[in-house]
Amino acid sequence: MISVTPKNLSEHNVKLDLNNLSPEQVALEIKNLDLYYGDKQALQDISMSIPKGQVTAFIGPSGCGKSTLLRCINRMNDLVDICKIKGQINLHGENIYDRHTDVAALRRKVGMVFQRPNPFPKSIYENVVYGLRITGENNRRVLDEAVEKALRSAALWNEVKDRLHESALGLSGGQQQRLVIARAIAIEPEVLLLDEPTSALDPISTLTIEELINDLKKQFTVVIVTHNMQQAARVSDQTAFMYMGNLIEYSDTNTLFTTPMKKKTEDYITGRYG
Amino acid sequence: MNNWFKSGSPWVWLSAGGVSISLISVIGLLWLIASRGLSYFWPADIYQFDMTDEQGKNLTVIGEIYDRESIPVSQLVHLDLDIDSSAETIERLLIKTGNRELVSLDFRWILVPQINKTSLPEDLVVIERRTNGNFYGFIEEVILDGKAVQQNQMTQLVERVSDFQEEIEALQTSDIGAINYQIERTRLKERKHKLDGTLTDELAQSFKSKVAGLRAEYEVLEHALMGLREKISRDQIVMRAMDGQKVTINFEDVLQITFNNQLGVFGKLKLFFSQIAAFITDDPREANTEGGVFPAIFGTVLMVLLMTVIVSPMGVVAAIYLHEYAGNNALTKLLRIAVINLAGVPSIVYGVFGLGFFVYMVGGSLDQLFYAETLPSPTFGTPGVMWSAITLAILTLPVVIVSTEEGLSRIPSAMRHGSLALGATKAETLWRIILPIASPAIMTGIILAIARAAGEVAPLMLVGVVKMAPNLPLDGNFPFLHLDRKFMHLGFHIYDVGFQSPNVEAARPLVYATALLLVSIIVALNMTAVTIRNRLREKYRMLEH
Repeated sequence: MISVTPKNLSEHNVKLDLNNLSPEQVALEIKNLDLYYGDKQALQDISMSIPKGQVTAFIGPSGCGKSTLLRCINRMNDLVDICKIKGQINLHGENIYDRHTDVAALRRKVGMVFQRPNPFPKSIYENVVYGLRITGENNRRVLDEAVEKALRSAALWNEVKDRLHESALGLSGGQQQRLVIARAIAIEPEVLLLDEPTSALDPISTLTIEELINDLKKQFTVVIVTHNMQQAARVSDQTAFMYMGNLIEYSDTNTLFTTPMKKKTEDYITGRYG
Repeated sequence: MNNWFKSGSPWVWLSAGGVSISLISVIGLLWLIASRGLSYFWPADIYQFDMTDEQGKNLTVIGEIYDRESIPVSQLVHLDLDIDSSAETIERLLIKTGNRELVSLDFRWILVPQINKTSLPEDLVVIERRTNGNFYGFIEEVILDGKAVQQNQMTQLVERVSDFQEEIEALQTSDIGAINYQIERTRLKERKHKLDGTLTDELAQSFKSKVAGLRAEYEVLEHALMGLREKISRDQIVMRAMDGQKVTINFEDVLQITFNNQLGVFGKLKLFFSQIAAFITDDPREANTEGGVFPAIFGTVLMVLLMTVIVSPMGVVAAIYLHEYAGNNALTKLLRIAVINLAGVPSIVYGVFGLGFFVYMVGGSLDQLFYAETLPSPTFGTPGVMWSAITLAILTLPVVIVSTEEGLSRIPSAMRHGSLALGATKAETLWRIILPIASPAIMTGIILAIARAAGEVAPLMLVGVVKMAPNLPLDGNFPFLHLDRKFMHLGFHIYDVGFQSPNVEAARPLVYATALLLVSIIVALNMTAVTIRNRLREKYRMLEH
């Protein structure tokens, strides 16, 4: 049996009652979400509220739908032709699946970092300002400031400040992933989605990113998908356990890992499957 | 043995063999055209053969040895030769004797046994002329401004004359040409007003006075030209040919006088390079069998560049649509197959299409709409450099589309997702991320297109290439780039010189030289494109996961 104990319990905020959050505590509200890939249903009736300024982790075995759910939040699933979605996800009380939603604007509010670092084949500087340039920002001073701020927030500034105009592809894997995070936060999103951000990295880079996530929640609402339970336990405030497209259990991380309510959750976190 | 097969060595040897054969053929091809082509420029020794012919007459033959071959004696029996009958073959030489005004053919065969004496007289000269080809002989007299002068003044004379020539050239092509062009444009403007019914008396008067002014200018220039001609015609050189006849040659006609037999290796090298330079920079003469190929080089490069400018955006845009926007359905697949099959259509078919559609339909309509004043003589409704470029662009379009699509599909989806997740739209992602990353693949398509287009001749014969174009498509007259003009092309030049010229023997080295030039130009164009592609590749090197 794996013993998993969340560290720094005392640091956690006052325990939130996830079923009765006040509107100003909610960053995102998912309501009765169904998702189909063609005929196959990948998500079934998911409802949950993701609190503001906290780290929420999605865990579960491979193929349980945790990444799919994450991609629903910034509508990256739109890119899959055969994908159909029913239900709502509300951001500021507005359904992002409304017909009139500006998807590009949504994605500026809900940033995302992928499994493998995917810096563009441009300079470090140009990678960070990419999102700003898209919005039409070309003022050199504004861009310079944004670069420094984003790279500092992503704990990368000291390593790259002397070679901002060199290719981003020359960075190590861990640095690239932090660069991608810097790129995502440079446009100051409200929510940051991390899709298994450390699965392609070595343990030391993983540790750096985990520390970074702890800092990021001061500014952003973070949603992280991970297949690594220790990681979920280390970095998250809330954890949702998913299985076969269903949300099995969702509670604060401490409770979920120490006293799970459901048998399935217990089996998973004790390593009986997964 | 079995183990040897299992080890894979036979296959390594087989593939190495294939590579060597390809390499050897390429190097052999280049070596052949280079050696044959470059030997054309090497100043040959001029021999004097004193010989006795079959009637027992003594004669002198002067010229360059062009070729030698052995022929069976039996072929020559009817000539009743006094030769050793035991020999089976007999050698004969092909001599370039030039002097076209004296003999109709500037080549003749001589039999080696008939030669009594072979010598290389130092004072033999070869004169390269504007008309009638080379003259071989001895200098008798040099006449400067109507008076006989010392022979050693000849070099100055040649320079003086070539200065005159340049002046005449400049007068003829730039100044007088420009005036003619303006007169023609004024006439067309007047005609346009007449056709539109807006020609007032006032306008007509102004046109008339403008033309009159231009005419007066023309007269002045023509007078200057006549004066120069007059001056130049007073310089002459009297030559003695191989049969003792004296021939007077106007210096006006002379391009170059060389004493080939006096030249050392360095002198010959110098002459060799100056001949190559002249070949590249001069206009052709004598029905293209002599002189340079500059208009053909210019036409080829201009046409290929125009084609590149047309085909690149068209191909890239088509590929983007097919790959990014068109749904993945049967129609798209059909389109893709159609595009690939287009690449297999014989090029002459494109030529026919270009002539029928672009030249006659599109060009004809353009003429009716915008150039009505020049009708019935067509402006765009006739083959020209623009139609050639467009026809070749259509011909090479599939290549660009296929390589661009290939490049687009090789881009990892992580790049797209990364950009979209930052709030970029699909179009912004394409423009800022996808196209730059795909640019090496696009360049590959352009390289292939250039390689194909530069070597293509057949369709051009229908849509714009001519044997001899009076003007370059680019000159100093507004609008400077004349896309409606016909042009010359190296590929067509090879065909024309090699197969259509009146003097095939004289033109053969020129065919090799032109072929060498065409290959060099295509290689140069390709190397430029390859360099650009490699730069782009280095810049957009993908992550090596």
